[in-house]
Amino acid sequence: MKDKKLGSIISHNVLIAVLCFIWLIPIVWLVCMSFSARPNMNTSTFFPQEWSTQYYKQLFQPDTVNQFPAWFMNTFKIAIATCIISTCFTLMVAYATSFGKFKARKPLMNVAVMLNLFPGVLTMIAVYFTLRTFGLTNSHIGLTLVYSASSGLGYLICKGFFDTVPRALCEAARLDGCNEARIFAQIVIPTSRPIIVYTIISSFLTPWMDFVFAKMILNAGISSQYTVAVGLYRMLDKSLINSYFTIFCCGGILVSIPIAVLFFIMQKFYVEGITAGAVKG
Amino acid sequence: MTKVGSAVGGFFRAIGNFFGEFFTAIAKGDWAVKLSLIIWGAGYAKRRQYVKAILMTLLEVGVILFSVYFASQYVPKFGTLGTVQFAQEFNIETMQMENNDYDHSFLILLFSLFSFVVWAVAAVVWIRNVVHAYQLQLDAEAGRHINTFKEDCMEYLGDKFHITLLTPPIIGIVIFTVIPILLLIFVAFTNYDQQHMPPNSLFTWVGFENFKSLFSNGGMTVTFGYAFVRVLGWTLVWAFFATFTTYFGGILMSLLLNSKKTRAPRLWRTLLVITIAVPQFVSLLLVRNFFSNGGIVNTICANIGLTGWLRSIGLISTSYIPFLTAPGWAHVMIILINIWIGVPYQMLIATGILMNLPTDQLESARVDGANKVQTFRYITMPYMLQVTAPTLVTDFVKNINNFNVIFLLTDGVYTTTNQLMANSQAKEVDLLVTWLFNLTQNYYNYKMAAVIGIVVFLVCAIFTLVAFNFLIKGDKEGVYQ
Amino acid sequence: MKKLLSLLLALAMVLSLGAVAFADDPIAITVWGAEEDQTYLAERIEAFKAAYPDQTFDITLGVESESTAKDTILTDVEAAADVYAFASDQLPDLVNAGAILDLSTVEAALQALAGKTLDDIKAANVEGAVTAATYNGAFYAFPFASDGFFMFYDPDYISAEQAQTWEGLLDAAAAAGKKVGMTLASGWYNTAFFNAAGFSTSLNADGTTNMDWNGTSPDGFTGVQVVQAMQAIAGHDAFMAIADGDISNQIAGGDLAAVISGTWDTKLVSDTFGEDYMAGALPLLTLGDKQVPTRGTVSFKMIGVNPHSAQTGWAVLLAEFLTNEESQVARFEAREIPPTNIAASGSEAVQANKGVVGLTEAAAVGVVQSVGGKYWDPTASFGEQIAQGTIGTDEAAIQTALDQLVEGVTAPVG
Repeated sequence: MKDKKLGSIISHNVLIAVLCFIWLIPIVWLVCMSFSARPNMNTSTFFPQEWSTQYYKQLFQPDTVNQFPAWFMNTFKIAIATCIISTCFTLMVAYATSFGKFKARKPLMNVAVMLNLFPGVLTMIAVYFTLRTFGLTNSHIGLTLVYSASSGLGYLICKGFFDTVPRALCEAARLDGCNEARIFAQIVIPTSRPIIVYTIISSFLTPWMDFVFAKMILNAGISSQYTVAVGLYRMLDKSLINSYFTIFCCGGILVSIPIAVLFFIMQKFYVEGITAGAVKG
Repeated sequence: MTKVGSAVGGFFRAIGNFFGEFFTAIAKGDWAVKLSLIIWGAGYAKRRQYVKAILMTLLEVGVILFSVYFASQYVPKFGTLGTVQFAQEFNIETMQMENNDYDHSFLILLFSLFSFVVWAVAAVVWIRNVVHAYQLQLDAEAGRHINTFKEDCMEYLGDKFHITLLTPPIIGIVIFTVIPILLLIFVAFTNYDQQHMPPNSLFTWVGFENFKSLFSNGGMTVTFGYAFVRVLGWTLVWAFFATFTTYFGGILMSLLLNSKKTRAPRLWRTLLVITIAVPQFVSLLLVRNFFSNGGIVNTICANIGLTGWLRSIGLISTSYIPFLTAPGWAHVMIILINIWIGVPYQMLIATGILMNLPTDQLESARVDGANKVQTFRYITMPYMLQVTAPTLVTDFVKNINNFNVIFLLTDGVYTTTNQLMANSQAKEVDLLVTWLFNLTQNYYNYKMAAVIGIVVFLVCAIFTLVAFNFLIKGDKEGVYQ
Repeated sequence: MKKLLSLLLALAMVLSLGAVAFADDPIAITVWGAEEDQTYLAERIEAFKAAYPDQTFDITLGVESESTAKDTILTDVEAAADVYAFASDQLPDLVNAGAILDLSTVEAALQALAGKTLDDIKAANVEGAVTAATYNGAFYAFPFASDGFFMFYDPDYISAEQAQTWEGLLDAAAAAGKKVGMTLASGWYNTAFFNAAGFSTSLNADGTTNMDWNGTSPDGFTGVQVVQAMQAIAGHDAFMAIADGDISNQIAGGDLAAVISGTWDTKLVSDTFGEDYMAGALPLLTLGDKQVPTRGTVSFKMIGVNPHSAQTGWAVLLAEFLTNEESQVARFEAREIPPTNIAASGSEAVQANKGVVGLTEAAAVGVVQSVGGKYWDPTASFGEQIAQGTIGTDEAAIQTALDQLVEGVTAPVG
C-alpha cells in the first residue's frame, strides 16, 4: 500500500519534471548559444563545441550594428514613462467606472469593448501620421505616447479588482466628509496593491516586447535610437544573422534577467491581482 | 434580445433628454442664457461667475481660431480629398526644390476627421453650456446658493470626480485609437493604394468598390476571394485552438503543480515562469531558428533517423522536416509553440482562481466517493468556466488579432506552395491581421487592408455579442457590491 | 478639450519657433546605407565635407538595407532619407511613387559644382548599370556596385570540368557526400532557369509585369521543359534547396561543396571552402537534348535622391560623390564589392578578386531583370513548389502550375 503511494508520488513528480524539462529546452539552448565561441548559429550540436563569454563582452562594445547599452537605456526610459502614464490612466478609468455613478458609464464601457475589437496593427499608419504631424516620430516621447495614450482601454481587469473593494469603507469615509479624490487616493489605492503591481508590471513590459510600433516610429535608421526589441530584431536580419546570432542570444538573456527578477519579486501580487481582476472582469 | 432592445431604447431616450433640456433652456431662458448661445460666457457672467465666463469664452475663441486657421485648410477639400497634383521645380540659387501648393489626400482625410471630432466635442460643450446657464438662472430665481469658482473646482474632486479622472485617458484614447479607427473606416471607401500614394498622387472616394472586389473574383487579384476565405478559416481555427489549448493546459498544469503529491511546487512553478520572463520576440525568434529547416532540431532528427523514417512513410518529401515551412506541419507547430508560451501564463491565473475554489464542495464530493476525474469534471471545471468565461471570450478575440506569434514565427521563413494563395500575397499560416500587415507594408494596398480590418472587426464583434449573450448569462456586476 | 487645445497651440508655437530658429542652420542631409557599409560611408561623408570646405554640413548617417529601402521609403516618402542606397529592381516602384528624383532636373547644379554632366556619369559606368538606372528614358540614380549571383565551389570535391554542368556538379557532390546549395524560393534566383531557355519578363508603364513562361520561348523551349529540368536538379540527392536569406548560414554549416551565392559571401566561402575556392558562371542546363547556360540575374546597387528632400541640390552632389571612382575604389577595398565604374573595375586588385571574376563570368550570360511588384510572391511560391516537389511530374499538372504562376505575376496592380 505504502509502496503504491510512493510509486504514484514518484511518477507524479517525474511527470512534472519531464514537463518542466520540455518547457526549458529552448531557454537552455538560448543560454548555451549565448556562451558559444562562434558568432553564428551552431546547427550541428545542441551544446556549443567551444564555450566563451567573449560575445557578452562584445555586446557592451557598441559597433555600427550593436548599440545594446544605448538600446537598453532607451527602452528603460520609455518603459518608466509608459509605466507611469499607463498605470495612472488605467487606475483612473477603473476607479471612475467601478465607483462612479454617472449616466454615461455603461455606454462608455460598451464603446470601450467595441474599440478593443479593432486590431491595433491596422491603425498603425494613422497613428504614425498623427505623431508625424506633431513632430513626434523618431522620438522616444512619441513612442511612449503610442504605448501609453490608449492604456485607459485596458481598464477591465483593474475594474474587476476595484469591484471587490468593500463599499462600506468608502461610505464611512464619505460620511466623514471625504471627497471622492481623497477616497480614491487614501482608501482605494492603498487596498489595491496587487492590482497596481499587476498594472505596473504589465505596462512596464510593453516597450520591451513590442517591435512593430517601435520599428515604424523609429524609422530614421539611427541605431542608437532603437529600443532593445528593434535592435535585437535587426540582428537576425538576413545579412547580419551570421555574425550576430550569438550576440542576439546574449542580448536576449540580458533583457530577460531584469524581467525575470521583477516577475519573481512580484509574482505573488501579480497572481493575486490578475486573478481577482479576472474573477470579476 | 430584450436586453439589446432596452439598451437601444435607453440610448434614444438619453438623446431625447439631451436635446430636450437644451430646447427647454433656450425657450425658457432669460436674455443671458440666450446670449450664451453666441458668447459662451454670457450666462455665467450674469451670475457673477466671472472666471468661468472668461474660461468658456476663451474656449470658444479657441474653437473659432482652430476652425479658421486649421480646419478651413482641410475640411472644404474633404468631399474630393484634394485636386491639386504635386509638382516641383529646382532652384539652382537655393539648391532646393520648390513645391507647388499641392493637396495631400491623406492629411486632408486625417485633419478633416480631427476637425470633425473637435467640432463634435465643441457642439456638446456648447449645448451643455446653455443648459448649465439655464440651470444657474433657475438656481438664482429660486434663491439657491450659486457656486464660487473655487467651489466649482472642488466639485471636480467630489461629485464630478469621474470627469476629472476620465478626461485625460479619454483624450489619449480619442487621439490614438478613435481617430485612427475612423480613418481606417474611411480609407476603406477610397482608392488609397500603390497607384494613389500621397504626396505625389491623390486618392479619392470610390464608394463600395473595395467591398465588391473583396467578395467577387476579378477585383484586386484573380484569387483574392479564394485567399480571403482560407485565411479567415485558419484565423478562426487558430483562435479556437490557441485559446482552448492554453486554457485547459494551464488548468491541468496548475492542478498538477498544486497537487499534494508535488514536491517543491514553488521550484517547478518558478521554472515554468521563466518562459514568460523571456520577451516574446526573443523566445519566438529563437524557437523559429531552433526549428528551422537547417536548424538544430532537424540535425538531431536526422541523426536519430526520424527524418529518414518520416520520409520512408511518405510524410515528408524533403531532406529535412519542414517544421515551420510546410502547411500542416507549420499549423501544428505554431499551435504547439503557442502552448509553450501560453500555458505558464494561464497556469498562474488558474492557480490563483483554484485557490479560491470552495473547499466544502470538494470535501463533500470526496465524502460521496467521487474520483479525481469526476471531481474535475463536475466541480473544478464548472467553477473555472463560470469564473473565467468572460476572459475566455476576450482571449479568443485577442487570438484572432494575435499578430506577434504568427509574424515572428513565419515572416521571412514560410513560403507558400499554393500558387493561388501566393498570387494574393497570402500564406496558409497568415491570420487576417498578418496578411493585412503585409498588404500595407510591402504592397501599400491600404484600401484593401482597411476592408479586411473592418471584416476582422465584424467577425470579432459578432463573436463577442453571441458569446456574451448565450454563454454568459446575466450581468455579474454588483454581486460584490 | 481645453487641455487639448492649449497643447495644440503650444505645439504649433514650438514648431514655428523651431522653423525660424533653424533657418540659417547648416545644410542638413540624411543618408541611408547598408549596415555593412556604415564605417565606409562615414569616412566618405567626411571626405565630402572636406571637398566643400566653404559650406557647413550636418550629415546624419542611418541604416537601411538596400534590399528593403523601398519598403521603408514608400511608407512615408517625406520622412525618408535625402540620399539612399537601393537595389536596382526597386527603381520602377520608387519612380511610380515619386520617391526618386529624375537627375536631369538638377543636372545644372551637378555641372556647376562637381563639374560633371549626366553623360559623363553614364560614360564612366558600365552600360548595364546605366540601363538599370534608367526608367522610361529618364536617368534616376548613381550606380555603385554590381550585384548578382554566381557559383562558388570547393575544388577539393569538384573539378572545374564537373562544375560545367548541373549533372556533373551534383554527381560529384553526391560522390563526396556533400551538397550543392541554391535558393529556389525566390524570383531573383529561379528566373535563371527560365532565362536559360530564352524566356524573359518585362514591365509595363502601369507597374504590371509581362510574363510568358507558360508558353514557348523564342529559343523553342517550353516552360514545361524548364520545370522538368529544374525538377531533375531539385530532386537530386545532392541538391539542397536553401530558404531565401539562409545561404550564409548553410555555407557556414559546412555541408556544401558548391553554392549559388554572391560577392557578399566571398569571405565566408573562403573561410569554409578554403582559400583555393573557385568561383564562376552557373553550370550548363540540359534542356531536351541541348545544353544551355543558366543565365543568372544581373542587378546593381545604386544611390538615389529623395525629391522631397529639403536640400535636393546638395543631396545630389553627395550622392554623386559617394559613387564616384574614388568612392567605388574605397568601397571595393573595404568590402570586396565589384564596382560599376569602368576605371575602378580596371584595377589589378579588382581583376584578381575571385568573387569579381565569378560575377563577371555569370554576368556575361546574365540577364537584367525587369519586373513589377506582383512578380515576387508568385515566383517565390513557384520555386518553393519545385523545391518541395509538390507539382508532380505530370506535364498537364506542370502546365497548370505555370498558367497559375503567370496569372499571378501578370495580375493588375492595385
